[in-house]
Amino acid sequence: MTINQYAIVNLSKGSVNIREIPANVIRSYLGGRGTNVYHLNKLLRKNVDPLSPENVLIFGAGLLTGYLIPNASRFNVTAKSPESGFLGDTNCGGYFGPEMRYAGFDQIIIIGKARKPSYIFLQDGSIEIRNASDYWGLDTYNVQIELRKDLGDVQAAVTGEAGEKLVRFANIRNGVKNAGGRGGLGAVMGSKNLKALVAYGTQGLDVAHPEQLLEVTKRANEYVLNSKVISVMGKLGSPYLYDVSNALGAIRTKNSQLNAWSDSLNAEHFEEYVEKMVSCASCVVHCRHRNTMDGEGPEYTTIGLLGANVGISDPKQVIELNNLCNRLGLDTASAGGILAWVFELYEKGIVDKAKFKEEKLEFENFELIKSLLEKTARREGLGDILAESSQAVKHFGPKSADYLIAVKNLPQSDPHDVRYIKAFALGIATASRGADHLRSRPTLEIFLRLPQEVKESIYGAGISPDPTSYEGKENTVFWSDNMYAVIDAVGICKFICHGFNSPHLIGYEHVKDFLDTAVGLKFDIQELKEVGQRIIDTERILNLRFGLTRADDSLPKRYFDDPAPLKTAEGHHVDRKQFQIMLDRYYTLRGWNEDGMVSEERVNELEAIE
Amino acid sequence: MKYIFVYPERCTGCRLCSLACSLTKFGECNPRKAAISVVRDEFERFEFPVVCFQCQEAPCVTACPQNAIKKDEGTVSRDDDRCIGCRLCAVVCPFSAITTFGKELIHCDLCGGDPQCVKYCSTKAIEYTDETQEAMQRRKEQLARVLITEK
Repeated sequence: MTINQYAIVNLSKGSVNIREIPANVIRSYLGGRGTNVYHLNKLLRKNVDPLSPENVLIFGAGLLTGYLIPNASRFNVTAKSPESGFLGDTNCGGYFGPEMRYAGFDQIIIIGKARKPSYIFLQDGSIEIRNASDYWGLDTYNVQIELRKDLGDVQAAVTGEAGEKLVRFANIRNGVKNAGGRGGLGAVMGSKNLKALVAYGTQGLDVAHPEQLLEVTKRANEYVLNSKVISVMGKLGSPYLYDVSNALGAIRTKNSQLNAWSDSLNAEHFEEYVEKMVSCASCVVHCRHRNTMDGEGPEYTTIGLLGANVGISDPKQVIELNNLCNRLGLDTASAGGILAWVFELYEKGIVDKAKFKEEKLEFENFELIKSLLEKTARREGLGDILAESSQAVKHFGPKSADYLIAVKNLPQSDPHDVRYIKAFALGIATASRGADHLRSRPTLEIFLRLPQEVKESIYGAGISPDPTSYEGKENTVFWSDNMYAVIDAVGICKFICHGFNSPHLIGYEHVKDFLDTAVGLKFDIQELKEVGQRIIDTERILNLRFGLTRADDSLPKRYFDDPAPLKTAEGHHVDRKQFQIMLDRYYTLRGWNEDGMVSEERVNELEAIE
Repeated sequence: MKYIFVYPERCTGCRLCSLACSLTKFGECNPRKAAISVVRDEFERFEFPVVCFQCQEAPCVTACPQNAIKKDEGTVSRDDDRCIGCRLCAVVCPFSAITTFGKELIHCDLCGGDPQCVKYCSTKAIEYTDETQEAMQRRKEQLARVLITEK
């Protein structure tokens, strides 16, 4: 069977050390997000500066990535985040994850800092650190195009100009559209003088039971493709979510001063710019729009953050901003969050306008937004401050923090205003990497007509059917958080994950069959659920080491204090007291104490895994 | 006759077809070790499944110095005992549809009349269809685009 190898690449010393991932670590954490956080916890014992050579940057493919398994394409990148100062962990699709496995590696751990611009080349079991001077300064498209000219049919995870300039929300990219978007891990690459991780592999992945895997995957594909939401996703992509949330009054608009925006950004208005729907490796959904403007996308997140949140209503302009961010290597979510924040600070006079006399800062100004994105990626003028993301509070003064839509210093990625649906509020408050929807989004709460017995069969009894109620919502977050951690660890896309977009789709039962037939690992459902909890607890232990306290499991001030002004959500806000009681119940489910600490016994148990 | 037809405009690039092929033929998952390959480049903006099209006048048959490749009942097949592994068939193929991989020369044999790859395509970008049925279906789709205006 295929050996699960990882390598430690020390860029300061120029050394490479290849090892096997112990079987017990795979059983305990699977791969991808799981084994990444396992190794980060082992290697990062101090609270280091995220942009220093001491930070540890880990690329890890899911345990099922690269197999004949639907949507098993994904890898995670993990480090201490320069944007939040807490856990940085980001999940990415495309074709790089499978390629690093075909090149012979499940995981690459990068430490130190190269003296000169460098890239790491993985090729059929070998690893070389090479000179990247010719690629430094190129945007994320051109660096990949040039690497292919020089090295052939390779896949690369790269950073753009923003990463080189240490922008705190610079991302890591593969292909035209796939992003390891969150937490600024592109800047960690930049801080290590690392332009790209490149892979070329001809080594197949051995399969434990080939005939059974062929059968299991055929049935899983049919099951996924019969789902209504998947056919919508294949036609419209994630933008279909905009309409749903906007009707509810849950689209973050102008830094959440408003909670609904123009119908002109509904999915159908993006269709005229779609040339073809394309896929990541092994994907049966094909949610990616190849747009007619020399890019791919936008996703729902970008429509919200670089549309409604900055006051843009023309789909064409959203696509242009999307494509621009992708080339520069900027996270569109943080970009839209930070711009909207600064526009409101300026509008309200919270920042000293005289400071920016050459700038005119306002919502709805497409040319201004475009130029600020370019300046941010290059750290020019005001862009040098915007590039600091939430840490720009230092420049704008303590009062500015009241207007920042972020949790754990990470600007919220989900365009969803959480004042109405309380499970969403708890989800972004407790997600291990900060205000983020991909860790625990209990999307089913939006589907108001979903029968109560369906919800209870998934999340357990005692959940209020009312989305505005706090009752039992800790269960939906707990369940989702664990499930999504497992799906990340095996490398399957969340779009076909049980509970993320549908009450059906790929859950523990399927994962169990995939692991058995592809890798030959037998798990029962309870063991898989425990893997999810183990990943979340290990992430928590790391965050506590980075200084996290209960006060960080909170929400932007506005969600507590300003009732939503529009539509169904009108008048709704999150009650501070009720929120704290719900958080208590969530901690209890996790087995954490009232301060959100992991017990010493649990810490010792997890530390002992090797 | 039934053949594999490919429709690049429907291909999303996912390579499940290649993985199904390599798993069926070799018991492993390796998109580079398969009789069907998805040629794709997201920067050049195309995806195209490449597989043996079972040419009427197949250059691989003509070029083989060992007479190892034959056409039987419309399907190209290779006699492994005669094959010396010179890779000339792969070079002369106008679609580069024959995969060379180590000691393997991988040539689609339609899985003996039950091709696995088509079963894993989620968009029907590859189909195993009778040629006359396919022709009529294709005509209907083309004419629908020409004749039916927006409702």
